[in-house]
Amino acid sequence: MQFPRFIQIHTLHNYPAALLNRDDAGLAKRLPLGNAVRTRISSQCLKRHWRVTEDRFSLSNLDVPMAIRSRAIPGLISKRMQENGISASLALAAVESMRNAGLLDKSGKDKKGEDALKTGQAALMGRAEIDYLVRRCTELAQTAPDEKTLKAEIAGMLKDEKKNIEALKHGSGLESALFGRMVTSDVIASRDASIYVAHAFTVHPAQVENDYFTVVDDLLQEAGELGSAGIFDTELASGLYYGYVVVDVPQLVENLEGISAKDCFSPQTPAEHRELAGRVVEHLIHLIATVSPGAKRGSTAPFDWAKLVLVEAGDWQPRSLAGAFHDALPLTDKNDNGTIRRRTVARLSDEISAMDDAYGAPLARRFLSLDSTEVKGAERTDLNKLAEWAKDVIQAGEC
Amino acid sequence: MRRHLLMRLEAPLMAFGGETIDNYGVIRDFPALSMVTGLLANALGYRREDSDLHDRLQTRLVVGARLDRAVQRLTDFQTAQLSKDDKGWTTWGVPEERRGGAESYKSPHLRYRDYHASLSVLVALRLEPSDESPDLDDLAHALDRPARPLFIGRKSCLPSKRIFAGWVIAENVLGALQTAGQPESTTRSRLQWPEGEGSLNGDRLIELCDERNWTSGVHGGWRPVREGSVPNSGEHS
Repeated sequence: MQFPRFIQIHTLHNYPAALLNRDDAGLAKRLPLGNAVRTRISSQCLKRHWRVTEDRFSLSNLDVPMAIRSRAIPGLISKRMQENGISASLALAAVESMRNAGLLDKSGKDKKGEDALKTGQAALMGRAEIDYLVRRCTELAQTAPDEKTLKAEIAGMLKDEKKNIEALKHGSGLESALFGRMVTSDVIASRDASIYVAHAFTVHPAQVENDYFTVVDDLLQEAGELGSAGIFDTELASGLYYGYVVVDVPQLVENLEGISAKDCFSPQTPAEHRELAGRVVEHLIHLIATVSPGAKRGSTAPFDWAKLVLVEAGDWQPRSLAGAFHDALPLTDKNDNGTIRRRTVARLSDEISAMDDAYGAPLARRFLSLDSTEVKGAERTDLNKLAEWAKDVIQAGEC
Repeated sequence: MRRHLLMRLEAPLMAFGGETIDNYGVIRDFPALSMVTGLLANALGYRREDSDLHDRLQTRLVVGARLDRAVQRLTDFQTAQLSKDDKGWTTWGVPEERRGGAESYKSPHLRYRDYHASLSVLVALRLEPSDESPDLDDLAHALDRPARPLFIGRKSCLPSKRIFAGWVIAENVLGALQTAGQPESTTRSRLQWPEGEGSLNGDRLIELCDERNWTSGVHGGWRPVREGSVPNSGEHS
């Protein structure tokens, strides 16, 4: 048994005649690798499209389970204050005061006691945020003579720091839990991305064509002119792209739940602390498989669903399978070992076997593939089941 | 004779960062001492604010590197849509904001980041003093079971090989780099190693600034290193 600390997602996407990602000269981004130059899609380009896309699996459509979260954050703050030697009544007063100031939600009316521990809206605070609030409240509680004074002082503190607290709330969403957020000079307040994305590249030599086109002006034509309005050319590239993503599950849980990454899979941590992280990864796998990094959508329709998605879970050093394509695949194969896609999948499969031999530690795996193929130690399944499996192993805390 | 730990850094893209000025992220040919420190600290699970642990690890590291393929540089161009309204909270109670007027943010921010493409590098290292924690075995274990995903210079530079590449017994870092097998058939390999860790015919002494003060977050000081090259014997590992 291993902890599913790292979820690795490998994909193959096919984009014919598209210009997905350009450099400052307007040319398709490239990558010299091994014996041939390839075309490339940068990680920032991929991430942006996964982040902003609107579909059933977009992050904004992830219902955050209120009942669990609402108890979690204020309860956690009050518990940690008590660990710092603050009495239960003062800790509760501090949480009430923060709620009433609208820090945890916009309730609009004073809540007391148990009610104050159940906020009305999701607060996705990470460890850095919780640490900070606990520290500030503890400092004030240590000198406060009674609950009433403490409440007033916390309200005053939140008012003094209005802008900072607003930035804290604003930077604590689901998106930043995955993709990180604006970097400041304060390392303690940083929120590290929990997702690592490699640049995608073609498994074969770059296939680029200059597309020559003219622009015709209909109005000029109607006026009896020839109507030519411009001559241009642009690059179009075709390719089968290998993509690779790693999710750092403990970091994701730290960002979403405010608990320390090292406690993510500890026996004391209830599975519901991993529930949301599991669903985030489930959505992410759908996004990675089906969202195109489309530029020039209108003129090239660069849409594709992955031809292969391989998901691995485990706690060994994550590594990409890019080494399988260090030598570019020839476009045609003299010995006729099938289509380039089949040959690509075969190479991936060989690379995995070699990796397993090198580590002596097979990971838990599932995959989907359009081609009937076998991957060492992996069951073939469909996208829904694949994403669900990743969610389940994260929640179960073992794979 | 001393034991050295070997690391294999290999990925389609890697970045051995140099001095980033404005929006140009430049690279150097060899990995900086601070980068190797950061990579190992990441494997060990150190947090950003653990500056003393980072400083101590960097002080103890004796590191050299061998380039096993020809250096190919690539400049990646990216745009970022920044906004005057971007804010980040801080633990000192005041958010940090973007400078400049709203006009500054009308156009996307243009960034240029250099990368090594298709490179493979062998790193040999040991720790001095060797009997302190973490020791070399701790590092080896952490590389195989790291606290976080490991990356080589930038978060998008993900390794395509197992980083821990075994042990070698040698007199010094240069010796370790020369005895470890060569995976590729380049005609010559370039090497860099700390002053006092061996010498080669025709090598040269360079003063390098690649140590980070992990408390202040800036690089400073000078470190003497030697650079040279050796013909490959053609042996494979």
